[in-house]
Amino acid sequence: MEQLTNLVVSEAELVHIARVLGRLTLETGASHVLLLDKSGQLIATQGEVGERDLLALGALLAGAFSSSRQVAQILGEKDFHSILQQGIYESIYTSLVGEQWLLVVVFEKQTHVGLVKVLARKAVEELDRILERVRAGGAQAKDQIVSVQFRNSAQNAIDQLFQE
Amino acid sequence: MALINVASREIHCKIVYYGTGFCGKTTNLQYIYSHAPQPARGDLLTIATESERTLFFDFLPLDLGLVHDFRVRFHLYTVPGQVLYERTRVAVLNGADGVVFVVDSTPEKLEENFQSLIELETNMRQLGKDLGAFPFVIQWNKRDVPNAIPVATLDRYLNRRRVQTYEASAVTGQGVFPTLRTVCKDVMERL
Repeated sequence: MEQLTNLVVSEAELVHIARVLGRLTLETGASHVLLLDKSGQLIATQGEVGERDLLALGALLAGAFSSSRQVAQILGEKDFHSILQQGIYESIYTSLVGEQWLLVVVFEKQTHVGLVKVLARKAVEELDRILERVRAGGAQAKDQIVSVQFRNSAQNAIDQLFQE
Repeated sequence: MALINVASREIHCKIVYYGTGFCGKTTNLQYIYSHAPQPARGDLLTIATESERTLFFDFLPLDLGLVHDFRVRFHLYTVPGQVLYERTRVAVLNGADGVVFVVDSTPEKLEENFQSLIELETNMRQLGKDLGAFPFVIQWNKRDVPNAIPVATLDRYLNRRRVQTYEASAVTGQGVFPTLRTVCKDVMERL
């Protein structure tokens, strides 16, 4: 059983991701679009995020999705891939990418939700392909970054920072 | 799942504090928040009920700073402890890179601690992880309560894997940072 699995997003793949998110932002007129890991970590964003706390937003959105998924399981829903949170001014459409990432579209009331759903589905297909490539290149790319020296330096930094 | 973002030169790791209701998970995070050096800590986010019980999770991002040109961040989460929130605990555990199991040393809580540990093992298995081969630390919390269960007894019933343990009193801060240090280093070791 694989334990700590890592996902390494290279610069080249991040350019592809930015392109997909940028196009989705433009075509839907969304305020902003986020790509999160399902553990809540932010991978990329496009659009106007302003002063918003993206770290907290990512944790909450991933938690909300994961929680809704548990609800769907209790209800016997087998195919649960997206949630829509409707607000008075802004709404949020979240869809799952390959059981690993979450594509989040934050859009204002003038944008039609149907358009967001259709274009998000198209973006998910493209992101799916990128995710497959990221997964394939993972171990090798990680070994280049996380060397023995890196681990030692990180552990020293932990000792220094988290003192009594 | 640790995330390594080469373009933004960031590494993100997720650590989850697990345990029974009122065992001190949130208190651990509150102590870390109030005592971690200023530039390292982000905002503490808490979703609690009026009775101060965690409803969904607490969240505290910690920034280790630059390591070999990469910014390393640990995202600390707690789960809600009450029995009825099991599904929520699974949701928060999703994608964890390390787990701290916080044990309430109050004598009447032994059975509850044991049940919580069994549940954690089951949930981890469901997520495809084996606690025996995973960054996992146990914290014997509330060592300051009268008649606290002896550590040897706790160890016998709750630490079959013989993982690293720490005696703690999260309210005073005793044992909080040693627990955090060990789980963070273990995550780095197995990254």
